[in-house]
Amino acid sequence: MIRYIARRLAQAAVIVAIVATITFVLIHLAPGDPFSAVMDNPNVSEKVRETLRAQYGLDRPLPEQFLRYVNALAHGELGWSFSHDRPVREVLGTALPNTLLLMAVALIASFTLGILVALVQVARRGSIIDHTLSGITLLFFSMPDFWLAILTLLALTYWIPIFPVGGAIDPVMHEYMSLGGRLLDRLWHLALPAITLTLLATASVARYQRAALLDVLPADYIRTARLKGLTEREILRRHALRNALLPIITLIGLSFPALLTGAFFIERIFAWPGMGYAVVNAIGTRDYPLVVGGVIIGSIMVTLGSLLADLLYAWADPRLRSH
Amino acid sequence: MPGPTPVSAATKPAQPRESPLGLTVRSILRKRSSRVALVVLGVIVLVGILAPFIAPYDPAAQPDIVALKNLPPSLAHPFGTDPYSRDVLSRVLYGARLSLTIGILATIVSLTVGVAYGAISGYMGGWLDAVMMRVLDAFLSIPRLLLLLGVLVAWPHLSVWALILFLGLSGWFGLSRIVRGQVLALKHAEFVTAAQALGASRRRILVKHMLPNLVSPIVVAATLGIAHVIVLEAGLSFLGIGVPQPLASWGNIIQDGADQVATLWWMSLFPGLFMVLTVMTLNILGEALRDSYERRS
Repeated sequence: MIRYIARRLAQAAVIVAIVATITFVLIHLAPGDPFSAVMDNPNVSEKVRETLRAQYGLDRPLPEQFLRYVNALAHGELGWSFSHDRPVREVLGTALPNTLLLMAVALIASFTLGILVALVQVARRGSIIDHTLSGITLLFFSMPDFWLAILTLLALTYWIPIFPVGGAIDPVMHEYMSLGGRLLDRLWHLALPAITLTLLATASVARYQRAALLDVLPADYIRTARLKGLTEREILRRHALRNALLPIITLIGLSFPALLTGAFFIERIFAWPGMGYAVVNAIGTRDYPLVVGGVIIGSIMVTLGSLLADLLYAWADPRLRSH
Repeated sequence: MPGPTPVSAATKPAQPRESPLGLTVRSILRKRSSRVALVVLGVIVLVGILAPFIAPYDPAAQPDIVALKNLPPSLAHPFGTDPYSRDVLSRVLYGARLSLTIGILATIVSLTVGVAYGAISGYMGGWLDAVMMRVLDAFLSIPRLLLLLGVLVAWPHLSVWALILFLGLSGWFGLSRIVRGQVLALKHAEFVTAAQALGASRRRILVKHMLPNLVSPIVVAATLGIAHVIVLEAGLSFLGIGVPQPLASWGNIIQDGADQVATLWWMSLFPGLFMVLTVMTLNILGEALRDSYERRS
């Protein structure tokens, strides 16, 4: 077990190192440098640009730049954000908790809901309910994240104005609210982005879990349970679900990229002040260091997510636990 | 297994052996959902091909930017007009053409690279395989959208061709792993050993003996891959770094109306519906293909 953890940790470290190399190559394959992109402005003299380049070490040979870059990364330095005029680390650091909150809420809600939907479907497999739910999950599975976000925004803030249009708090009243009021205000603003992300994620969980349950049902122990006279409901709950829960852990790890990508679009549309909102806005201002910082942090999150899922799996599976 | 089948031909002379492709097509058509999906997808593809003939207006024409802008759906403009007074229906029809083309071409790029990488890695084995797989792990842990953001922001003002290339180059990692697994399994198959014993070159074995056995997973990956690229392209265009304006892609049209979602709802609703329909039918077909292939193997 310990050896497995050590090997898996080393693997994750190698992945992060390669990701860092890939982003470095990306930066240097691009035409010009960060300064020619940001400062297309003719009012910035060549001399200022030269000074900036020297300051950032862009005039050094590539191998040296690479070592400096890796060194900075290892110290948590992600460069300077031009549009915020602050270190990228700070910009993303303040935004990250919001993204994590959104992702965590959606993760928990979508796995609960998804497993429930799958159970209902499998309990009545082949029925109209099963087919209808399959159709609905396929529909949400096929929807582009941003389009569903636009639809929920249209429907629930403009046509039926229940939720606030965007942001994380009420821009005016929040300051004057009591502690409980502030909490409610935050939840109220979180609701719609979280619902949207949950809908998207639930679709894949339900589809995956339905297939996993159907895979388990022909197993011998299910037949045994049936012969013992257990009801179909009990079989599903006590035998099938338990064994089909293991793949769920894997799915949690696999769902990180989709959740993160979904969060990016949803934050953009609901003006939710998370990492995606910061990075998407950086596209418009051509704030390249911020975009690259987002790519690196996002990749680290995904790597950590799958690492965590693998460790959890090893812990949860009695067949692996003894090793 | 490749090679002639003289024995079965002698015992059952009346029934010619059906090709795997024929079997696959038949098993898919047996399901009603895939038949419907095939028809719907066929109509959308046809719409894309015939766009110049069926579009009521020129998709780029701005007839009257004052009087004809932001019109809600009407008989003259069934999908309304956009802030530049362009006809949204015409743009959606042309968008079908562009979005599908991008999806297909980018997927061809992905397939080529993915199959080559996976086949080489699996067939060569050893340290090369180990290194290639670790690099693949790293690419797989960068979310595709983020990878593309990193690239597309660094290269502003890209042409559609470059966009297709990047979309394709960011989409082969998963397929590559599948192909490697298959090649690894096939490496010790009897017919491969036989070919080796007969002195066939590595390339010949890969291309002539292994590739035909990879067709099914590749077809599945291609179908689902096209759907994925269509969604990605739309997302990137929506963020303003995808298809260059004023070309019409489904994502571009939605982006044109994104600043006024509430008032210009027709600009996100209609292209989105086309997109969801396309992606859904591709997903249905891809899954039906996978089911039929998994049942056979």
